Amino acid sequence: MSNNGGTPVPLLAGRDLARKHGRTQALRGASLELHTGEILAVTGTSGSGKSTLLHCLAGIVRPDQGSVVYAGQRLDQLPEKRLSVLRRTDFGVVFQFGQLIPELTAQDNVALPLMLAGTARTQAHARAGEWLERFGVRGQEELRPGELSGGQAQRVALARALVTGPKVVFADEPTGALDSLATEQVMTALVHAVRESGTSVLLITHDAQVAAYADREVRLIDGAVAAEVAA
Amino acid sequence: MVPMSTRHILLGLLATGPSHGYDLKRRHDERFPQARPLAYGQVYTTLQRLVRDGLAEVEGTDSDGGPERTVYRSTDDGSSELSRWAGEIAPPAPFVTNEIFAKVVVSILSNGDPDAYLRAQRTAHMERMRELTAVKTAKDADLATVLSADYALNHLDADLRWMTTTAARLTTLTAEVDAA
Amino acid sequence: MNGEARAGAHTGARPGIMTDLRLAWQLTRGSDRREWWRVGLTAAGAALATGFALAAAVLASLRGYYRVPVGNGLLNAPGERSGVIVSLLLLLVPVLGFLGQCARIGAVHRDRRLAGLRLAGATPAQVRRIAGLETGLACLLGSTVATVTALAVLLSRWDHPVTLVWFWFALIALGVPVLGAAAGALALRRVVTSPLGWVRRVRPGSGRGVGLLFLGAVLLVVLTAVLAVAGTSATGPGRGYGQVQLLMFGLVLAVGAGTVWLAGATAGVTGRLLAARARSAATLIAAERLRADPWATARTHAAVLLVTVVGTGFVGIRRTLLTELNGMRERHTPGMGMSFYTTGLNLTAAAIAVALAITMSGLAVGTAESLAGRRRGLAAQAAAGVPRAVLGRALLLETALPLAPAVAVAGVGGMAIGVWYASLPKHGEAGLPYVALLVPVGVYACCLLAAATSLPLLRRSVRPAELRYV
Repeated sequence: MSNNGGTPVPLLAGRDLARKHGRTQALRGASLELHTGEILAVTGTSGSGKSTLLHCLAGIVRPDQGSVVYAGQRLDQLPEKRLSVLRRTDFGVVFQFGQLIPELTAQDNVALPLMLAGTARTQAHARAGEWLERFGVRGQEELRPGELSGGQAQRVALARALVTGPKVVFADEPTGALDSLATEQVMTALVHAVRESGTSVLLITHDAQVAAYADREVRLIDGAVAAEVAA
Repeated sequence: MVPMSTRHILLGLLATGPSHGYDLKRRHDERFPQARPLAYGQVYTTLQRLVRDGLAEVEGTDSDGGPERTVYRSTDDGSSELSRWAGEIAPPAPFVTNEIFAKVVVSILSNGDPDAYLRAQRTAHMERMRELTAVKTAKDADLATVLSADYALNHLDADLRWMTTTAARLTTLTAEVDAA
Repeated sequence: MNGEARAGAHTGARPGIMTDLRLAWQLTRGSDRREWWRVGLTAAGAALATGFALAAAVLASLRGYYRVPVGNGLLNAPGERSGVIVSLLLLLVPVLGFLGQCARIGAVHRDRRLAGLRLAGATPAQVRRIAGLETGLACLLGSTVATVTALAVLLSRWDHPVTLVWFWFALIALGVPVLGAAAGALALRRVVTSPLGWVRRVRPGSGRGVGLLFLGAVLLVVLTAVLAVAGTSATGPGRGYGQVQLLMFGLVLAVGAGTVWLAGATAGVTGRLLAARARSAATLIAAERLRADPWATARTHAAVLLVTVVGTGFVGIRRTLLTELNGMRERHTPGMGMSFYTTGLNLTAAAIAVALAITMSGLAVGTAESLAGRRRGLAAQAAAGVPRAVLGRALLLETALPLAPAVAVAGVGGMAIGVWYASLPKHGEAGLPYVALLVPVGVYACCLLAAATSLPLLRRSVRPAELRYV
């Protein structure tokens, strides 16, 4: 992806982020920028602070130091209530597993964010159905997460993250528990969907083949950005 | 990687029916999208060797409106040689020819910066992997394209993993190389 | 040599009960805080069970008229004594429910650990024994404390206890831990059969095993109660009185057993019906959770319903009795001192209050455990922007939805007992005890409060730190 000259304002920017977890310093002065429509991979060994960085940028935890600016707002200063709303409307999250509610059907899981935003259930169901179809899990709407394969469950999770039309999708090792074929299906589905909608993605992974789906890679070493590799 | 046998690939393409050199080249490049494209010269010399060894023979000529072209077809010997080759296992990495490792060692010997080299190499690898991934995720990519890109991606990924563990153990390696 | 090694391995693979005991002790000692909660609560439950059983046993060992220095002479005559014994034994029911709930604390974690033991080569029987011993040890702790306390009280109040008392003491002090161990082994029998599957899969919802255990325990209580009543009444003068009580007891039990089934069934039906029609996210989540595992809460809910039946019935009977007593006093013909009757009523009220408290503790423990068991999922929901308020509402609805119809029916059952008692010819003029209708409402409110005690835990559960651990 090329920018047509100048330095465009990033959609999301973290600057000099520091965060402690108990006695371990998970982040020490990490900075990065995410632009509109960009897929950015954050790689690094386990314990390098990748997940903590994602949590800070997504407004899930507050950094001890540094700032997070999303669309002109300081996320690190927003009250929890507004952050919660923002995460629901502007952000989508996908984790390695566990984000689907085990008791709800695939369709209800995808419809949930819409229902939380006040959409009527029938309408939410219809939209959820469309997204499940896009992710190739048509025919499994009535199954529950325990009855889906790992790859199917992650595609349902992606549908759930994208159904509200978020500006940014935060994906923390979305394929961490999948085999290579399922990984390819999930990543291809993600790339196609976000390219169409112009959604930005912050993709945390330790797998170079998954990072290769991104436009750009940022490597974390010991809680700081080591190198930025542009396409 | 095992060196490709152009002879056998051409024999394989001829197995579907008689064909001329230009057509064989075109079909090869189509079938193996991410491989190095065949040169015309290579196609013709290989075909002549196949005829010399009795594995293929000239069927006739075909002008088809344009310049006259020689059409080749496979012989019985050719098809039995092909099935022998296709069933033969490829020797798993008979020689380790690792240019990256050689450069790391030379860099240590000459007091260079092997760490910086590995980082730069990693960047180049990642860039190539992104290119290949873009090729395979393109909307119109067919399965052959996806599979050949995957093959390259997996090899590059293996290199990357090796580079990551090597970078983490450079101090020990430097001590070992310097001591020897 | 190979054969020798195998023979050696065989002798090593035959550990005795002492090895199991040591392993069980090590596992308990090395476990985290939640495990100590389980041990503490299980011990407390066992202590209560032992205490009630001992008190009942002491009273049951008396024959005929006997001057008991507590309770305003209420315990002197065999008729009233048998009533107290029945109440004490009935109190065991909520205690058993509570113990069942305690066994579930850290169940997921414990399942994983025992499955790990299986993978490490323990035989199914060995794992079952270790699991049983773990619970048994906690129960032993509770029963020891209760027995020692009871002994001290007994010796200070009773100069020459009858020999039968010592037999009962020994039986109960040892019986409670043994029963606890058996229940522990039974509850984990499925881990033993599938050591691998249990570790990863979401548990399929079926509380039938524990439900059967509960019913079995209730039956045991009933049998003992019947025997005790028969024993004390046989030598006393008031035979007919004992039979009326037996009848009441049977009525209470029939309504109670019905409500046990009702609790599970309503949870399932409510879940299915609401899941299809839910309009809000909180209702949808709560309904689907009920549909997925209607029996998860049935155990505690059954105890709630029993308390409702007994409580409603009691309030009705109390009103009728008091009206009647006041009438008698006006006519100056009370059979005994007024305090004799009020002590009896107050004791019963206290017993029911204790039962309610135990049941509510069980309910609170159960809700907390269900939260703790799915901390990671809840944290992921919160991270995805599901408001904490929605998760909290779903948690309360999970308790509130299935209980509403069940408590209502239990209230009607209890009311029926009260009305029946009031309509007996001898209390002709008492009128209908409508006050009793307040009991189900009160119980329902208490249940919501008990469930709400878990809300602070929810706040802690949805911390993003939980996202880091599986």
